[in-house]
Amino acid sequence: MSLSDRLLLARLRERDEEAFSHIVKLYGDRVFNLVFRFVGNRSEAEDIAQEVFVTVFKSIETFRAESKFSTWLLRIAANHAKNRIKYLSRRPGVGAEEADDEEVALSQQRSVPGHMVAPDVMMEAAELGSLLEKAIAKLDEDQRLLILLRDVEELAYDEICEITGLPEGTVKSRLHRARITLKALLEAHTR
Amino acid sequence: MSDHNCESTQAEFSALLDNELSDEQRRAVMAEVKACAACAAALDELRAAVASLSQLKHAAPPTFLQDVQQQIRQRSRGRFFGKRFLLFGRIPFEWVSLVMILAMLAYYIVTMQSSPTEVTPLP
Repeated sequence: MSLSDRLLLARLRERDEEAFSHIVKLYGDRVFNLVFRFVGNRSEAEDIAQEVFVTVFKSIETFRAESKFSTWLLRIAANHAKNRIKYLSRRPGVGAEEADDEEVALSQQRSVPGHMVAPDVMMEAAELGSLLEKAIAKLDEDQRLLILLRDVEELAYDEICEITGLPEGTVKSRLHRARITLKALLEAHTR
Repeated sequence: MSDHNCESTQAEFSALLDNELSDEQRRAVMAEVKACAACAAALDELRAAVASLSQLKHAAPPTFLQDVQQQIRQRSRGRFFGKRFLLFGRIPFEWVSLVMILAMLAYYIVTMQSSPTEVTPLP
Protein backbone atom coordinates (compact mmCIF):
# COMPACT_ATOMS: atom_id res chain seq x y z
CA MET A 1 0.00 0.00 0.00
CA SER A 2 1.45 3.34 -1.04
CA LEU A 3 1.98 6.24 1.35
CA SER A 4 -0.68 8.35 -0.33
CA ASP A 5 -3.14 5.44 0.00
CA ARG A 6 -2.30 5.15 3.70
CA LEU A 7 -2.78 8.86 4.27
CA LEU A 8 -6.06 8.76 2.41
CA LEU A 9 -7.17 5.77 4.45
CA ALA A 10 -6.36 7.56 7.69
CA ARG A 11 -8.46 10.51 6.56
CA LEU A 12 -11.29 8.19 5.57
CA ARG A 13 -11.26 6.64 9.03
CA GLU A 14 -11.56 10.14 10.46
CA ARG A 15 -14.62 10.57 8.24
CA ASP A 16 -13.09 13.43 6.42
CA GLU A 17 -15.70 14.44 3.86
CA GLU A 18 -13.10 15.72 1.44
CA ALA A 19 -11.33 12.35 1.49
CA PHE A 20 -14.62 10.58 0.78
CA SER A 21 -15.32 12.87 -2.13
CA HIS A 22 -11.83 12.21 -3.42
CA ILE A 23 -12.41 8.45 -3.26
CA VAL A 24 -15.69 8.72 -5.16
CA LYS A 25 -14.08 10.91 -7.82
CA LEU A 26 -11.08 8.59 -8.06
CA TYR A 27 -12.90 5.28 -8.24
CA GLY A 28 -16.47 6.21 -9.22
CA ASP A 29 -15.99 5.53 -12.92
CA ARG A 30 -14.28 2.19 -12.38
CA VAL A 31 -16.91 0.99 -9.97
CA PHE A 32 -19.72 2.20 -12.20
CA ASN A 33 -18.14 0.65 -15.30
CA LEU A 34 -17.70 -2.70 -13.60
CA VAL A 35 -21.23 -2.94 -12.24
CA PHE A 36 -22.80 -1.52 -15.42
CA ARG A 37 -21.04 -4.10 -17.59
CA PHE A 38 -21.89 -6.81 -15.10
CA VAL A 39 -25.61 -6.15 -14.67
CA GLY A 40 -26.17 -4.57 -18.11
CA ASN A 41 -28.70 -2.03 -16.85
CA ARG A 42 -27.85 1.61 -16.33
CA SER A 43 -30.31 2.51 -13.56
CA GLU A 44 -29.50 -0.66 -11.60
CA ALA A 45 -25.82 0.08 -12.07
CA GLU A 46 -26.23 3.61 -10.71
CA ASP A 47 -28.02 2.24 -7.69
CA ILE A 48 -25.46 -0.50 -7.08
CA ALA A 49 -22.50 1.85 -7.50
CA GLN A 50 -23.97 4.20 -4.90
CA GLU A 51 -24.53 1.25 -2.57
CA VAL A 52 -20.91 0.22 -3.03
CA PHE A 53 -19.65 3.58 -1.77
CA VAL A 54 -22.15 3.64 1.09
CA THR A 55 -20.85 0.19 2.10
CA VAL A 56 -17.27 1.38 1.83
CA PHE A 57 -18.00 4.37 4.04
CA LYS A 58 -19.88 2.25 6.57
CA SER A 59 -17.21 -0.41 6.80
CA ILE A 60 -14.01 1.55 6.30
CA GLU A 61 -13.01 0.64 9.87
CA THR A 62 -12.96 -3.05 8.89
CA PHE A 63 -10.53 -2.55 6.00
CA ARG A 64 -7.25 -4.03 7.23
CA ALA A 65 -5.08 -2.68 4.43
CA GLU A 66 -3.75 -6.16 3.67
CA SER A 67 -4.76 -5.64 0.08
CA LYS A 68 -4.91 -2.57 -2.14
CA PHE A 69 -7.80 -0.25 -1.40
CA SER A 70 -8.98 -0.52 -5.02
CA THR A 71 -9.04 -4.33 -4.77
CA TRP A 72 -11.15 -4.18 -1.62
CA LEU A 73 -13.47 -1.66 -3.29
CA LEU A 74 -13.89 -3.74 -6.43
CA ARG A 75 -14.56 -6.84 -4.33
CA ILE A 76 -17.42 -4.99 -2.65
CA ALA A 77 -18.64 -3.87 -6.08
CA ALA A 78 -18.52 -7.40 -7.48
CA ASN A 79 -20.41 -8.79 -4.47
CA HIS A 80 -23.08 -6.11 -4.67
CA ALA A 81 -23.51 -6.69 -8.41
CA LYS A 82 -23.78 -10.46 -7.94
CA ASN A 83 -26.33 -10.06 -5.17
CA ARG A 84 -28.38 -7.68 -7.29
CA ILE A 85 -28.43 -10.13 -10.19
CA LYS A 86 -29.59 -12.86 -7.80
CA TYR A 87 -32.28 -10.55 -6.48
CA LEU A 88 -33.40 -9.49 -9.96
CA SER A 89 -33.52 -13.08 -11.18
CA ARG A 90 -36.15 -13.77 -8.52
CA ARG A 91 -38.26 -10.91 -9.91
CA PRO A 92 -39.36 -11.81 -13.43
CA GLY A 93 -39.62 -8.93 -15.88
CA VAL A 94 -36.93 -6.90 -14.16
CA GLY A 95 -33.27 -7.24 -14.91
CA ALA A 96 -30.57 -6.85 -17.46
CA GLU A 97 -31.59 -4.99 -20.55
CA GLU A 98 -29.85 -4.94 -23.86
CA ALA A 99 -28.28 -1.58 -24.37
CA ASP A 100 -29.79 0.14 -27.38
CA ASP A 101 -27.65 1.79 -30.03
CA GLU A 102 -28.30 5.28 -28.69
CA GLU A 103 -27.12 4.23 -25.24
CA VAL A 104 -24.03 2.62 -26.68
CA ALA A 105 -23.24 5.77 -28.68
CA LEU A 106 -23.70 7.83 -25.54
CA SER A 107 -21.50 5.40 -23.67
CA GLN A 108 -18.73 5.78 -26.25
CA GLN A 109 -19.03 9.58 -26.12
CA ARG A 110 -18.75 9.56 -22.35
CA SER A 111 -15.77 7.30 -22.42
CA VAL A 112 -13.60 9.95 -24.04
CA PRO A 113 -14.41 13.18 -22.22
CA GLY A 114 -13.17 16.34 -23.83
CA HIS A 115 -11.91 14.51 -26.87
CA MET A 116 -13.31 15.18 -30.34
CA VAL A 117 -13.80 12.06 -32.42
CA ALA A 118 -14.80 11.89 -36.08
CA PRO A 119 -18.43 10.72 -36.53
CA ASP A 120 -17.51 7.64 -38.60
CA VAL A 121 -14.94 6.57 -36.02
CA MET A 122 -17.49 7.14 -33.28
CA MET A 123 -20.07 5.10 -35.20
CA GLU A 124 -17.66 2.25 -35.66
CA ALA A 125 -16.68 2.35 -31.99
CA ALA A 126 -20.35 2.41 -31.04
CA GLU A 127 -21.03 -0.65 -33.19
CA LEU A 128 -18.10 -2.51 -31.70
CA GLY A 129 -19.14 -1.42 -28.22
CA SER A 130 -22.66 -2.66 -28.85
CA LEU A 131 -21.39 -6.01 -30.12
CA LEU A 132 -19.10 -6.42 -27.13
CA GLU A 133 -21.84 -5.52 -24.68
CA LYS A 134 -24.19 -8.06 -26.22
CA ALA A 135 -21.50 -10.72 -26.18
CA ILE A 136 -20.52 -9.97 -22.56
CA ALA A 137 -24.16 -10.12 -21.49
CA LYS A 138 -24.39 -13.65 -22.90
CA LEU A 139 -21.48 -14.97 -20.86
CA ASP A 140 -22.29 -16.72 -17.64
CA GLU A 141 -21.85 -14.72 -14.46
CA ASP A 142 -18.43 -16.10 -13.48
CA GLN A 143 -16.98 -15.73 -16.97
CA ARG A 144 -18.40 -12.22 -17.28
CA LEU A 145 -16.81 -11.12 -14.02
CA LEU A 146 -13.41 -12.52 -15.00
CA ILE A 147 -13.51 -10.87 -18.43
CA LEU A 148 -14.47 -7.56 -16.86
CA LEU A 149 -11.79 -7.71 -14.19
CA ARG A 150 -8.97 -8.84 -16.45
CA ASP A 151 -9.70 -7.43 -19.90
CA VAL A 152 -11.82 -4.37 -19.15
CA GLU A 153 -10.37 -3.26 -15.81
CA GLU A 154 -6.97 -4.76 -16.65
CA LEU A 155 -6.30 -6.04 -13.15
CA ALA A 156 -3.42 -8.34 -12.26
CA TYR A 157 -4.15 -11.99 -11.54
CA ASP A 158 -3.43 -11.67 -7.81
CA GLU A 159 -6.00 -8.88 -7.53
CA ILE A 160 -8.55 -10.96 -9.44
CA CYS A 161 -7.90 -13.87 -7.08
CA GLU A 162 -8.55 -11.61 -4.09
CA ILE A 163 -11.74 -10.22 -5.57
CA THR A 164 -13.20 -13.54 -6.68
CA GLY A 165 -11.73 -15.73 -3.94
CA LEU A 166 -10.58 -18.20 -6.61
CA PRO A 167 -7.13 -19.77 -6.88
CA GLU A 168 -4.90 -18.42 -9.68
CA GLY A 169 -5.03 -21.61 -11.73
CA THR A 170 -8.82 -21.57 -11.71
CA VAL A 171 -8.90 -17.91 -12.68
CA LYS A 172 -6.57 -18.54 -15.62
CA SER A 173 -8.41 -21.57 -16.95
CA ARG A 174 -11.83 -19.95 -16.55
CA LEU A 175 -10.62 -16.75 -18.14
CA HIS A 176 -9.28 -18.69 -21.10
CA ARG A 177 -12.66 -20.39 -21.58
CA ALA A 178 -14.42 -17.03 -21.17
CA ARG A 179 -12.28 -15.43 -23.88
CA ILE A 180 -12.88 -18.30 -26.27
CA THR A 181 -16.63 -18.10 -25.62
CA LEU A 182 -16.58 -14.33 -26.11
CA LYS A 183 -14.68 -14.67 -29.38
CA ALA A 184 -17.22 -17.22 -30.60
CA LEU A 185 -20.11 -14.94 -29.60
CA LEU A 186 -18.54 -12.00 -31.44
CA GLU A 187 -18.05 -14.14 -34.52
CA ALA A 188 -21.68 -15.28 -34.35
CA HIS A 189 -22.84 -11.64 -34.13
CA THR A 190 -20.72 -10.47 -37.04
CA ARG A 191 -21.64 -13.30 -39.35
CA MET B 1 5.14 -29.94 -38.28
CA SER B 2 3.17 -33.14 -38.71
CA ASP B 3 1.97 -33.44 -35.11
CA HIS B 4 0.41 -29.98 -35.03
CA ASN B 5 -2.79 -29.85 -33.03
CA CYS B 6 -4.84 -26.64 -33.37
CA GLU B 7 -6.74 -27.26 -30.15
CA SER B 8 -3.69 -27.65 -27.96
CA THR B 9 -1.93 -24.70 -29.62
CA GLN B 10 -4.94 -22.42 -29.18
CA ALA B 11 -5.29 -23.51 -25.56
CA GLU B 12 -2.10 -21.51 -24.91
CA PHE B 13 -3.33 -18.30 -26.54
CA SER B 14 -4.82 -16.78 -23.43
CA ALA B 15 -1.59 -17.28 -21.48
CA LEU B 16 0.36 -15.97 -24.49
CA LEU B 17 -1.66 -12.74 -24.56
CA ASP B 18 -1.17 -12.31 -20.82
CA ASN B 19 2.61 -12.84 -21.10
CA GLU B 20 2.30 -15.82 -18.82
CA LEU B 21 4.41 -18.16 -20.95
CA SER B 22 8.13 -18.68 -20.55
CA ASP B 23 10.33 -17.64 -23.48
CA GLU B 24 10.66 -21.25 -24.54
CA GLN B 25 6.91 -21.88 -24.40
CA ARG B 26 6.25 -18.66 -26.24
CA ARG B 27 8.67 -19.56 -29.02
CA ALA B 28 7.09 -23.00 -29.36
CA VAL B 29 3.57 -21.59 -29.59
CA MET B 30 4.61 -18.93 -32.09
CA ALA B 31 6.31 -21.56 -34.25
CA GLU B 32 3.04 -23.54 -34.33
CA VAL B 33 1.10 -20.36 -35.16
CA LYS B 34 3.44 -19.50 -38.03
CA ALA B 35 2.95 -22.93 -39.50
CA CYS B 36 -0.83 -22.96 -39.27
CA ALA B 37 -3.06 -20.35 -40.95
CA ALA B 38 -6.08 -21.33 -38.85
CA CYS B 39 -4.17 -20.85 -35.61
CA ALA B 40 -2.74 -17.54 -36.85
CA ALA B 41 -6.24 -16.28 -37.66
CA ALA B 42 -7.57 -17.51 -34.31
CA LEU B 43 -4.77 -15.72 -32.46
CA ASP B 44 -5.41 -12.48 -34.36
CA GLU B 45 -9.13 -12.65 -33.61
CA LEU B 46 -8.57 -13.36 -29.92
CA ARG B 47 -6.01 -10.60 -29.66
CA ALA B 48 -8.40 -8.13 -31.32
CA ALA B 49 -11.29 -9.17 -29.07
CA VAL B 50 -9.23 -8.82 -25.89
CA ALA B 51 -7.78 -5.47 -27.03
CA SER B 52 -11.23 -4.07 -27.80
CA LEU B 53 -12.46 -4.99 -24.32
CA SER B 54 -10.04 -2.56 -22.73
CA GLN B 55 -11.82 0.25 -24.61
CA LEU B 56 -15.09 -0.52 -22.85
CA LYS B 57 -15.12 2.32 -20.38
CA HIS B 58 -18.30 3.90 -19.16
CA ALA B 59 -18.09 6.95 -16.95
CA ALA B 60 -20.33 7.29 -13.92
CA PRO B 61 -23.20 9.79 -14.27
CA PRO B 62 -22.14 13.43 -13.78
CA THR B 63 -24.16 13.70 -10.56
CA PHE B 64 -22.68 10.53 -9.08
CA LEU B 65 -20.68 12.20 -6.30
CA GLN B 66 -23.67 14.29 -5.19
CA ASP B 67 -25.90 11.20 -5.31
CA VAL B 68 -23.54 9.22 -3.08
CA GLN B 69 -23.16 12.09 -0.63
CA GLN B 70 -26.92 12.48 -0.49
CA GLN B 71 -27.36 8.74 0.19
CA ILE B 72 -24.87 8.88 3.05
CA ARG B 73 -26.41 11.97 4.58
CA GLN B 74 -29.91 10.53 4.32
CA ARG B 75 -29.00 7.20 5.86
CA SER B 76 -26.94 8.65 8.68
CA ARG B 77 -29.41 11.51 9.18
CA GLY B 78 -26.59 13.93 8.61
CA ARG B 79 -24.41 12.45 11.36
CA PHE B 80 -21.88 10.61 9.24
CA PHE B 81 -19.63 13.54 8.46
CA GLY B 82 -20.43 15.25 11.75
CA LYS B 83 -18.12 15.63 14.75
CA ARG B 84 -17.28 12.35 16.36
CA PHE B 85 -18.35 11.66 19.92
CA LEU B 86 -15.13 11.39 21.93
CA LEU B 87 -13.32 8.30 20.64
CA PHE B 88 -16.42 6.78 19.14
CA GLY B 89 -18.06 7.37 15.81
CA ARG B 90 -21.46 7.65 17.52
CA ILE B 91 -22.98 7.76 21.00
CA PRO B 92 -21.89 4.46 22.61
CA PHE B 93 -25.28 3.26 23.81
CA GLU B 94 -23.90 -0.18 24.81
CA TRP B 95 -21.47 1.45 27.26
CA VAL B 96 -24.05 3.89 28.54
CA SER B 97 -26.46 1.06 29.35
CA LEU B 98 -23.70 -1.03 30.97
CA VAL B 99 -22.72 1.87 33.22
CA MET B 100 -26.37 2.39 34.18
CA ILE B 101 -26.84 -1.29 35.05
CA LEU B 102 -23.69 -1.25 37.21
CA ALA B 103 -24.82 1.94 38.93
CA MET B 104 -28.22 0.42 39.73
CA LEU B 105 -26.57 -2.74 41.00
CA ALA B 106 -24.22 -0.75 43.24
CA TYR B 107 -27.14 1.30 44.55
CA TYR B 108 -29.10 -1.87 45.29
CA ILE B 109 -26.16 -3.45 47.18
CA VAL B 110 -25.52 -0.28 49.20
CA THR B 111 -29.19 0.10 50.20
CA MET B 112 -29.43 -3.59 51.11
CA GLN B 113 -26.41 -3.26 53.42
CA SER B 114 -27.62 -0.10 55.14
CA SER B 115 -31.23 -1.25 55.66
CA PRO B 116 -32.09 -3.14 58.94
CA THR B 117 -32.07 -6.90 58.54
CA GLU B 118 -33.97 -7.70 61.72
CA VAL B 119 -37.57 -6.85 62.27
CA THR B 120 -38.26 -5.54 65.76
CA PRO B 121 -41.69 -6.46 67.05
CA LEU B 122 -44.04 -3.70 67.92
CA PRO B 123 -44.43 -3.07 71.65
